[in-house]
Amino acid sequence: MNIKNVRVPSSPQDVHPNKPGDANVHLETQNLHVWFGKRLILEKVNLAFPENSVTALIGPSGCGKSTFIRVLNRMHEFIPGAALAGRVLYDGQDIYDAAVDPVNIRTKVGMVFQKPNPFPTMSIRDNVLSGLKLAQMTYENSEEIVRTCLERASLWNEVKDRLDASASSLSGGQQQRLCIARSLAVSPKVLLMDEPCSALDPGSTRRIEDTIREISSDMTVVIVTHNMAQAQRVSDYTAFFLSEDGAPAQVVENAKTEEIFKKPKDSRTNDYVNGLFG
Amino acid sequence: MTILQEKPSEEVFTEPQYPWRKVNPSTSITNSIIVVLPISIFALSFFLTDLPGALLFIVIFLPVQILVAIFATIWGISKKRVGDAVLSVLSLVAFSFVIALMGSVLFSVFSRGLPAISLSFLTQNNTYISPTTELDYGGVGHALLGTLMVVAIGMIISVPLGIASAIYITDMKGRLAGFVRFMVQAMSGVPSIVAGLFILAAFILTDVSGFSALTGGLAYSILMLPTVARTSEEVLKLVPKELRDAAIALGSSRARVIMKIVLPTARTGILTAVILGVARVIGETAPLLLTTSNTNGTNLNPFVDAVSTIPVYIFQFLGSGYPTAINRSWGAAFVLLTTVAILFAIARIVERSTKKG
Amino acid sequence: MDSDGSDHLKESPTPRYFGREKSRTRSDKAFSGSVVVAALSSLFILVAILFYLATSSWPALRKEGLSFITGSTWIGGLDDPSQQVFQIWPMLYGSFLNALLAIIFAVPISVLLAIFIVFIAPKKIARALTIVVDVLAAIPSGIIGIWGFLVFTPVAEGWARLIHQYLGSIPIFVNNQDQFTRSPFITAWVLGIMIVPIITVVAREVLAQTPQDLLDAARGLGGSLWGTVRMVALPHARGGIVGGVMLGLGRALGETVAIYFVLNLIFERVNYYRILDPEGGSVASMIIAKFGEATPEEIQALLGAGLVLFLLTLVVNLIANWIVARSARERLV
Repeated sequence: MNIKNVRVPSSPQDVHPNKPGDANVHLETQNLHVWFGKRLILEKVNLAFPENSVTALIGPSGCGKSTFIRVLNRMHEFIPGAALAGRVLYDGQDIYDAAVDPVNIRTKVGMVFQKPNPFPTMSIRDNVLSGLKLAQMTYENSEEIVRTCLERASLWNEVKDRLDASASSLSGGQQQRLCIARSLAVSPKVLLMDEPCSALDPGSTRRIEDTIREISSDMTVVIVTHNMAQAQRVSDYTAFFLSEDGAPAQVVENAKTEEIFKKPKDSRTNDYVNGLFG
Repeated sequence: MTILQEKPSEEVFTEPQYPWRKVNPSTSITNSIIVVLPISIFALSFFLTDLPGALLFIVIFLPVQILVAIFATIWGISKKRVGDAVLSVLSLVAFSFVIALMGSVLFSVFSRGLPAISLSFLTQNNTYISPTTELDYGGVGHALLGTLMVVAIGMIISVPLGIASAIYITDMKGRLAGFVRFMVQAMSGVPSIVAGLFILAAFILTDVSGFSALTGGLAYSILMLPTVARTSEEVLKLVPKELRDAAIALGSSRARVIMKIVLPTARTGILTAVILGVARVIGETAPLLLTTSNTNGTNLNPFVDAVSTIPVYIFQFLGSGYPTAINRSWGAAFVLLTTVAILFAIARIVERSTKKG
Repeated sequence: MDSDGSDHLKESPTPRYFGREKSRTRSDKAFSGSVVVAALSSLFILVAILFYLATSSWPALRKEGLSFITGSTWIGGLDDPSQQVFQIWPMLYGSFLNALLAIIFAVPISVLLAIFIVFIAPKKIARALTIVVDVLAAIPSGIIGIWGFLVFTPVAEGWARLIHQYLGSIPIFVNNQDQFTRSPFITAWVLGIMIVPIITVVAREVLAQTPQDLLDAARGLGGSLWGTVRMVALPHARGGIVGGVMLGLGRALGETVAIYFVLNLIFERVNYYRILDPEGGSVASMIIAKFGEATPEEIQALLGAGLVLFLLTLVVNLIANWIVARSARERLV
């Protein structure tokens, strides 16, 4: 039987509460297992990310959240010893199928990293356009692309007079917003963010959170965060990852953000969001 | 929530899988075309025309290989990966080229040098030997001893100086540490011929000494010093700071800390530094032509009279042009390369035993 | 520790600085002193080289003046010293031509090989290749010389004939002597083979140090391998690679015996560009070629040639080290 289009959860809380039916899903995982070497670190992850919304992934450090989002755009395989089983579907297509070009997937599923990593040898302008060049996309009126992307990342006003300055002249928060603008330029359908604010001050964090809300109007955002308040501020859905006693991590609970924080179904979720551990 | 359908038999995974290693059937067809087609065209053109292989490689094989890779990539993957295909083809060509060169050098030395090797070749000297004498008589014995003397003298001079430079830079961190490192770097660029000229000018032309193993060793020491100093510096940096601090806290003097703690801890690494220094110079010909000159007999006195060495032996017989003389050169080259290989093998074993311990 | 740090902030103590710890005992002093003296040996040797080469070649240099470097005449071996002329321009130019061609041959091969090792080859092959490159770097130049003379020259002669046959109308490939051995072209290949490992070692190291987060950024944006290498890795490694090339240049300028066997040294005229012609020059090889039958005055001139070579390689090497060190600093920032 073809299980590709039949989505049946292994446990009730592994599925989005609003799924299937009332939202479009570009990206989802089915029965995903992830290894480093021989060690299984993620087990049976079934998650779907509804279109035009923000999903926060929370959980204690080291439970594989960052690894999980690297799996979603095939960045996982660059890490020595990485292995995985199960499926990651992008518009119904398994992105780990041999016929899929990973380079193509990464232009559709973009990524913003924990540490701001603009290209230090390039100007601000070239950084924004770098993704288009790297992905060999054709484009006209680069000025407009630069402006739109910087505006959406709420960086335009600060840098519009020095677009040719080196990217390394920016502050940490500005650099991270530049990285967001750079990701937006290739117009991905999904944007993965790996603790994008962990290295930043509260002011920069606030602006990036505003940016996340803004871009989620026409983009699926998946954000890993350790900051409970941030998860509540920016996300529509929240998935709680937990690895108990060295066992592989699993998704304990997955629901609308307010449910996770106000009336979680699982006692471990309750303990975690109320700061009892982690 | 929708009604649960019959629960699908969910797969259970127990073993790690590597889906990115799977090969698309269409890709594997493309891959075989990429490999087979250009080679067949190359082979065909090689047998059907009488143009030389080197020309066909550049004019036929390389362009065809690149074009095939480009089209196969566009057809099989995506046109965004064309750059990758060209880069892969070119870097594979560079890789094959270097492997071919390396193979050619080693193969030549082995295939032409090995037949010359015999017990007499390794032990006899060159007295009464002309360039046309059969290989049964005469050998590199005297040159082997000469090389041994010259290298030993080079070591005696350069090793203490090199280690002292390294100690000064890493352990004493003196005011001039940066300057000393800079000077060592500058010395590493001194051409070997210049080292020979310097010894010639300073010792031989001034009649302080004649051609001898000693002057050769002096020239070698100039070339060894930077290698010994730089490698020792790397090694001494690895000695844990806690070890030194502990010894200093116990009231040891600095000299004692270095002699009793730092150097013994780093001894295998320093041995590696010495071996690398020797390997760096042992094949140098130019400085010896100016400082040891050459002789056919065995000279065991390092202070007086010319002495023969392996590199100069190669040079001497290569220059004469006779077939047996050239075979002697290859034989000596084999001896030299084997010596270098043994030195490197020892260095590697020493290095590995340090890492384990 | 610093949670209750309000009290000690009120008073601001004068900082005490500790000078370098002075040696206490006499034996300690003697030890430190001898280490310092030994450490300065590099300086002593460099100064001594400069001093001895300059003073012992001074008569020849004074007699020839600037034309020692710019002239193209070499008349030695005469009983009457005043008839002898020593000028090295053909050799000096030849050294540069050989080195430049060698770099043109070696740089693409080295950089491609380094990219292959760092970004393309599977781990095991990459590790093996790293060792192969180290071994290649350790092969004594004398052995490359005998191989270049007896094995490689016939092969490269074939290449040279082909180039001449098909591209002979281009001035640099002109050859009217029907001899294709002992040319700058073949010399440059032999030198190139010597410096490929030097450049590859440096290029591999700097490419391997490309920060992981920049590689991640490029790949995460949909960069292909070539795109990532071109836009991130190569710009990052540029300084180091240029430094490695300069180190190779220094080595090529100083190489002696290998060139002696594969190049026809012509002292009376300069072969400016006909790289397939069996005519060339090399300061280092000239010293070996002329040393055997040199008159005392000629030896002075050869020492002068050595002085020029010494200064030349010193400058090249210092620039190389400066570039490598600067790019290493930039990578740390």
